[in-house]
This record gives sequence, C-alpha cells and structure tokens, in this order.
Amino acid sequence: MTRTFLVILLLFPAVSCMKYGPSATETFEPGPSSKGLFIINEGNFMYGNASLTYYDTKSGTVENEVFIRANGVNLGDVAQSMTIHNGKGYIVINNSGVIFVIDPATFLITGNITGLISPRHIHFVNDNKAYITDLYREKITIVDPVTYTITGSINTPGHRSTEEMVQWDNYLFVSCWSYDNKILVIDTQTDVVTDSIEVGDQPSQMLLDKNDKIWCAASGKIFRIDAPTRNVEKIFTVSDEAAYSYLALNATRDTVYIMNRDVWRMSSDAGTIPLKPFISNQNKRYYGLAVDPATSHIYIADAIDYVQPGKIYCFDPEGVPVDTLTAGINPGAFCFK
Amino acid sequence: MMKFFVLLFCFVFCGFNLHAQDTVQVRQLYSIRIVAQRRLRDMGVQKTSLDSAGLRNDITGSLAQVLSQNSTVFIKSYGRATLSTASFRGTSPSHTQVTWNGMKLNSPMLGMVDFSTIPSFFIDEAHLYHGPGSVIVASGGLGGAIALSTQTVPAEGLHVHLIQGIGSFRTFDDFLQVSYGKGRWRTSTRVYFASSANDYPYTNYRKKTFYYDQQGNITGFEYPKERNQNGSFRDFHVLQDIDYSGSGTGNWNLSAWYSRTDRGIPLLNVDYKENSSVRNNQTENTFRGVIRWRNLQQRSKWEAKAGYTYTDLLYEYKRDLGEDQWANMVHAQSYVNTFFSQVETEWYINKWMFSGNLTVNQHFVTSLDNAVVSVEGKQSIMGYEQARLEASGFVSVKYRPAERLGFSVDLRKDLYGSDLTPLIPSFFAEYLVSRRGEVVLKASAARNFRYPTLNDLYFMPGGNPELKPEQGVTFDGGIATAHKGSRYSWNGSVTGFYSLIDNWIVWLPSFKGFWSPVNVKQVKSYGTEVNASLAITLNKNWKVAADGHFAWTRSLNMGDPVNWADQAIGKQLVYIPEFSSAITGRISWKEWTFMYQWTYYSQRYTTSSNQTNSRIGVLSPYFMNDISLETDIRLPHIVINLKGIVRNLFNEEYESVLARPMPGINYTLSIGIIPLFH
Repeated sequence: MTRTFLVILLLFPAVSCMKYGPSATETFEPGPSSKGLFIINEGNFMYGNASLTYYDTKSGTVENEVFIRANGVNLGDVAQSMTIHNGKGYIVINNSGVIFVIDPATFLITGNITGLISPRHIHFVNDNKAYITDLYREKITIVDPVTYTITGSINTPGHRSTEEMVQWDNYLFVSCWSYDNKILVIDTQTDVVTDSIEVGDQPSQMLLDKNDKIWCAASGKIFRIDAPTRNVEKIFTVSDEAAYSYLALNATRDTVYIMNRDVWRMSSDAGTIPLKPFISNQNKRYYGLAVDPATSHIYIADAIDYVQPGKIYCFDPEGVPVDTLTAGINPGAFCFK
Repeated sequence: MMKFFVLLFCFVFCGFNLHAQDTVQVRQLYSIRIVAQRRLRDMGVQKTSLDSAGLRNDITGSLAQVLSQNSTVFIKSYGRATLSTASFRGTSPSHTQVTWNGMKLNSPMLGMVDFSTIPSFFIDEAHLYHGPGSVIVASGGLGGAIALSTQTVPAEGLHVHLIQGIGSFRTFDDFLQVSYGKGRWRTSTRVYFASSANDYPYTNYRKKTFYYDQQGNITGFEYPKERNQNGSFRDFHVLQDIDYSGSGTGNWNLSAWYSRTDRGIPLLNVDYKENSSVRNNQTENTFRGVIRWRNLQQRSKWEAKAGYTYTDLLYEYKRDLGEDQWANMVHAQSYVNTFFSQVETEWYINKWMFSGNLTVNQHFVTSLDNAVVSVEGKQSIMGYEQARLEASGFVSVKYRPAERLGFSVDLRKDLYGSDLTPLIPSFFAEYLVSRRGEVVLKASAARNFRYPTLNDLYFMPGGNPELKPEQGVTFDGGIATAHKGSRYSWNGSVTGFYSLIDNWIVWLPSFKGFWSPVNVKQVKSYGTEVNASLAITLNKNWKVAADGHFAWTRSLNMGDPVNWADQAIGKQLVYIPEFSSAITGRISWKEWTFMYQWTYYSQRYTTSSNQTNSRIGVLSPYFMNDISLETDIRLPHIVINLKGIVRNLFNEEYESVLARPMPGINYTLSIGIIPLFH
C-alpha cells in the first residue's frame, strides 16, 4: 500500500513541467511593396498583451503579432500610438513606459527610449528633436530620436495630461486631455509654452488641414481653429455628444472624416456636418479611424467586446467596403508606412 | 428513533458552544455530529468543510492558498500578498459570498473578497457551500458561499501558541495565540505579522537586452535577470474572541478583528519604468467586530448578532519628483462603514425543522480620487458618497418523512436600497442509499440574484445606475460516501452541476472614453466536482493519507453576439481553467510528517474568443509541486514543532497571470512553540 502510494507521488513530477520561456523568432523579409499599414493593438490594461499588426495594402496580406514574432520580445502593456520618421517606426507603449524603435520593413528593434512615465505620442520637430507627451506628468519630454536619449523637457504647469500634437510653422499645438480643456502652444525653437487655447472638455485628437486649420475633437464638439491666429473659427456639434469622436483627413487634406458612432465626411471648409452619415455604424464598437494619406481608403477599427482580436473594416474613398481584416486586441491606432 | 432525534437536536442546537461542557460529552456529540449534520442541517447541500487542522497547515498560508489546495474552488492569484480571488464553478469572484462569524466580508463597493488578506491561522472553521447551498448563507452567491468562523479554545486554563517563520526573499511570519479559560469565560487573543521584501529573482523572457556594433546592428542579446519590483508587503492582524456561557440566559460571544495591510503592487514584466521612478501601493485598514447572543431551549434556538465593519482603502500611484518628493497620479481613497444585525431562530417539531433569519446591513460608502486635476488646473476631487440599506429575510422548512429520505424548501427575499429582489427559492433532497459506506444521493436547485455593487452603480466616472441585478438558476446532484474505521477511513463524492446566469455584469470601455459596467452576458456553466480522501493507519508508527480534489468546469458565454464578428459566443470565460486538480499526500512516522502537494490548472485563455494561435493570449497548463517535512519534539513542559517547506520544488519558471512572473524554488523554515502549563 505504502509502495503504491509512493509510486503515485513520484508520478506527479513526471507531468509537471510548465511550458514557459523564450519566444521563438522568425524573419520577415521586406515586402515588394513599400506601402503598408501598421495597426497598433492596445491590448488590455495590466494584461501586457498589446500587439502590432501589419497589413500590406497592395497584396492584402495581414500579419499579426509581428513585433513579438520578429523580436521575441513582448510589445508590452497598452500600445498607444506609432509614428514613422526617417525610415524608423516609433511605437509608444503607454503603461510600459517605453518607446520601441523598429525597422518598418523587418519589424526588428533598433533601439528603445526609456526614462518615461506614461508616454502617449511622439512628434518630430526635426531629425534631432522629438517631443513626447505624457498622461501623468506636467511636462513634455524632449528626446534625440537618433541616439534615443532624453535631452530635456518642457514644463506644462497646471496641465498634467498632454496628448496629441500638431505643428504649424514653428509652433506646436498640444491637446491637454485628462480633466482639462486647453490646447497649449509651444514655440519649438525655444521649447517653451507661449500660449493656450480654450476648447471643450477633454480635447484629444488633432489634425492640421491644407488651409492651416487645426481640427480638434473635445467632448462631443469638433473645434476648427485657425493655426496662425489661434482663433476658434467654428464649433461643430456631433450627433451623439456623449460619445467619443475620432478624426481623419484624406490624402489631399481637404476632406475631414469624423467618427462619432457613425462616420461623417465633409469638406474642410464646410459650415456644418452633413445630416446623413457617410458610413453607418451597424452596431459596431468603433475604436479607431484612419484614412490612407496616399489612396484615401478608410479604415475603421472594431474592438468587438474588447477582449478578443478586433476587426478592421476597409472602405474605398467612396465608402464602399473592400476588405475586412482581423487584428489584435483593441486596435486603437494606425500608422501608414 | 426518538433517541436519535434527541441527540440530533443536541448537536444542532448546541452548535459551536459545546466546549462549555465536559470533554466526554463533547466527544460523544462530535461523533454524532457528522451524521447529524448530514441528516438535517445540511440536507442535500454540496459542502466542503475545513477544520483548524486543515486551515493551519503552515504559517505562510493565507486562506487563498488553503482553498486552492483543499477544495475545487479556483483561486486566481498574482502571488503571495497580492489580490487572490475565489470562484466556484466557473463564475466570477463577486459571485462568491463570504461571511465571518455570520457577517458579510464582501466589499459593498467591489463585491468581492481578497482572500490573501485573511490569514488562515485566524480562521478556525471554513464551510464552503457549492452552488444552490449558498442561498442558506446569503443571496448573491451565484457560484457559492464561504462561511468562516473563529472560536476560543474550549479547554480550561492557559494556552499559548507561538510560531515564527523565516523564508526566502526576506519573508518573516510571526503568529501568537494566547487563550485562557476559567469557569464560564473563555478568551483568545491572536496576533499575526507578516512582512517580506518579496523581491524574488527571475529571468525576464518578455524583454531582451540587445548588444549593438558600431553601425547599430544587433550583435547579440540576453534575457535580463530581474527581480520582482515594488512587491514588498507588511500585514498586521489582531483578533480577540471572548465567550461567556450563561446558564439560562444564553451564551455571549464577542469577536473583534483589526487588520492593516500595506502592499506594493508589483510592476509587470513588460514594464520599462525605473522602479525608483514610480510607486504603486495599496494600504488597507479594516476593523470588524461582531457580538453574538445565543439561547438554546429544548426544541428551539434563538440567536442575535450585531456587528460593525470599517474599512479605509488607499490606492496610490505616485511618481518621483526627486529629493523624496512624490506627485500623485492616482490617489483613490475609499471609506466603508457598515452596521450589521441578524436575528435567527430554529424550531424542531417531530420530523420537521423550521428556521428563519433576518439580516440587515446598512452601508455608508465614500469613494474619492483627489489626484484629479480640474479644468482650472487645480486639485479637485472626484468620487461618490452613498448609503445603502440591504436586508435579507430567509425561511426554511426541512422534513424527513423517513429515516433515509429528507427534503428541504427554503425561501429568501432581499431588499437593496429601495428595490426588492424577486423571491429566491431553493430545494434540497437527500436519500441514504446504503448505511454501509454511508452512500447518500443528494440533489439541489435554486434561483438566485445578485444586485449590483455600489461601484457598479455610482463609481465616478462610469457608474451605471440603470444596471439590473444578475440572476441565475442552478442545479446539482451527486453521490457521496464515507467510511471511518480503525485502520481505514475514506470519503468520496462526485457532483454534477449546471447553472445559467443572466444579466452578468461586466465593465467595458464605453463610447464615452471610460469604463462602465453593463449587463451583457448570459453564462452557462456545467461540470463535475470530485473529492476523495483516504487515510490508512499501517501500524503504531506509520500512517499514510491522501486527499484529492478535481473539477471539470465549462463556463461558457451564451450572450447575444456583439455583432457578426463576435467570436466569443459559446467560448470559455477568460481565466477559468477547464480542468483543475489539487492532491495532497502525507506520510507520518512517529512524530515526523512528510507532505507532498500538487496543484494543476489546465490552459487558461485571456481572450473571450479563446484564441490559441497567439503568442500572448494563452497561459499554458500550471503544475505546482510543494513539499514539507515537520516534526514535533515533546519535552516535559513544551512542545516544539519544526517545519521546513519547499515551494516550487522543481524551480519552474512561470506566469499564472499574464505579465506576472512568479518565484522559483523558495524555502520557509518555521518553529512552533506550545508551552504546557500543568
């Protein structure tokens, strides 16, 4: 009896090896087409399951989790945004406090920027200077995007959360998102906040159209601001003021797309948002919007239930559906190569 | 027959106050207790009971660890001294109702209980009610309920028990219990202190440190060797129990428990922030006090309880400004004050038993985040302040028409705020198939409701006052057997269960940009629970024992698809393993005991669509092996217990929750001292 018992006990270790360890890597050859779309999948907060999807817009092929597959390194917790500058892709991972720099053709890491708290977006002032906004800091971090080192900071007193950035001339406009209602103006030559513009609560996304107008989405309103004079020219009210609004511009930057449950399209100098939506919601939980700067194809992200791989719906410039792809969890941002 | 019922009555109505009587009587009553409990009080109920021997296995154990090793309940844990939640039968942690000495422990704000904050040495008895049986304890236990209790030491005189544990990663555990009994009075004081740097080393396979050449090309890499960051903790608990056994006026009991936990929240292994640049901490102060009066008459029992709970919980996320100056990023503070009272009665008339109780909880809750900066750029406060009255009435009729057969019908109805739940009925039946081997068939069914927590309704931002209560129906049936002999003892049970829960509350990101709870899912769960134990006394010196718990749980999302693309319908819920098992083996020789513990969870999904073709969406099966060796040294005036524990025997590298690396092999040495005063 004792012997049987001991034998049973000794059996457990035999089936007790956990599968865990290094992630295998694979090589991605640079594709024939230099055009493509990166989809930044946020993942779930504190799950560390952010991922990067690459969509070859020419061939229509989709590769998911390309970052971990190429590098054997996890992308991290809450991927926020990605910007390509000078042939390098800068992926901002919010809750990991890191910006990964990759080669957009092979997805291989070429470096990373650390020493950050809660980075949101990166904007390139020139080849040697970039600004990084932060959700939890009263300052914008200045980095050298070539050496990946922090070179300074811009204080934003009273504005803890800085979000998106657009530049007109030598002036950078920064939206202050969390519990704030301002757009700050920074002189990029002196790295000092020189002015601010009051908009609605929680200003987030910003774009600059071909007429030097800044479009800013803030709590159910869309603000059109003249960049040279910094005057709010026009305030558009969206159909569902309680819902979050996303903005995009077409290739020639003369047409504005507003996603507020449905997607609306209007000329950048129009006086009102049209009554009829351009693309209707069909009960999807839209999580991101992008328009291809080359072809004006429209991409809409659907997070479904937020805990499964999301879908990306692709439409041609006239709003005709052309493709549906599966990305990662909570696809929230896009970056065109 | 009559004699049986008299004895039965003695047990049922004497309850836990047996210790006041002489030991011979206690022993007699205990021997019939097992039969009596099954026969009437818990007729048809699927229940797992743990006594202090099972609970007090080792000094480092929280209740979370004990439950995962000794029951089919699934514990989701991030490691020692971090959030550990319990779920029955594939439900969520807030579907587990927990009481301590009759008073609810579930937070009125969060709805769930963190079992890592309950030291197992502070609990003397734990009863787990699986499925329908939970409505006997409280409503809202859509998965089950756990009733915990503390007691004084029944014997007269002074008793002291001191335990000191020292473990890896600078972990220290100290426990002291001093009890004293004289005449009608009993008192017990317990103090527990645990602290740890908890900075275990691990190889981080989620990051790479690259080496570059002059041109910036990668020439090589290594996986960084890191330590668990920001994981240190200090927990302090003190518990006082006082009993007074009155003659005709009833028995009085007072229990008061204060705890302070100060815990770091470890950084994820995908975090690149410097440890010194941020601090993420949770501090909790909780006081719970219950006073109980119990009066036993010939054929009836009356019991009344009053209690109070105070909790303040501070969650801080701070960043370093330099020179030991810190700026708050999140500073979420909550206060809970709850007043509790309960009146209970039981009547026994021939083959019938009638019982009823009324429970009232009055909550006052304040939740604040004062790290929020207003639009004017000034510090402002965001939060809510709410009070809610919760009342629950319960009546039960049990009937045993024949010795082998019994039925029970129970009804419960709850008031929360100004809303009433519909009637919550439950049915239990039991049939003794064979006296030999005590083979019993059991079946039960219940309807149940769980009303939204205060955070669900009012949290700023996101609280949804329109939420409907979750509601469910649940059924189970099974067979159990037990045998207690001089050489062999065993027991075993097999149970099948099925339940359906509607209006399941889930927090989801909303169109408004923040998270908000909604009633979305219908969840169907079904499966099997198997428990078995065997103890053999080979001879005077040798004993072997083993017990095992196995669960097969399918917990499926059966709600309406969000849209055509939704792949989550019919899939297993996130983080619920389909198979789980825990086995413990013991071999004793004289005063020495060797113990082997083995725990297993099958693959867990982290996506609602159960995606498997992913590097980041699946947690591979979990196997854990722990061993311990202990001995008692009996000296004339003292008993010394020495125990060595080795956890993660095979030094496995693993994550049991995404991005949370766990410790490798680690050791604890404990010494227990029991002075003998005679």
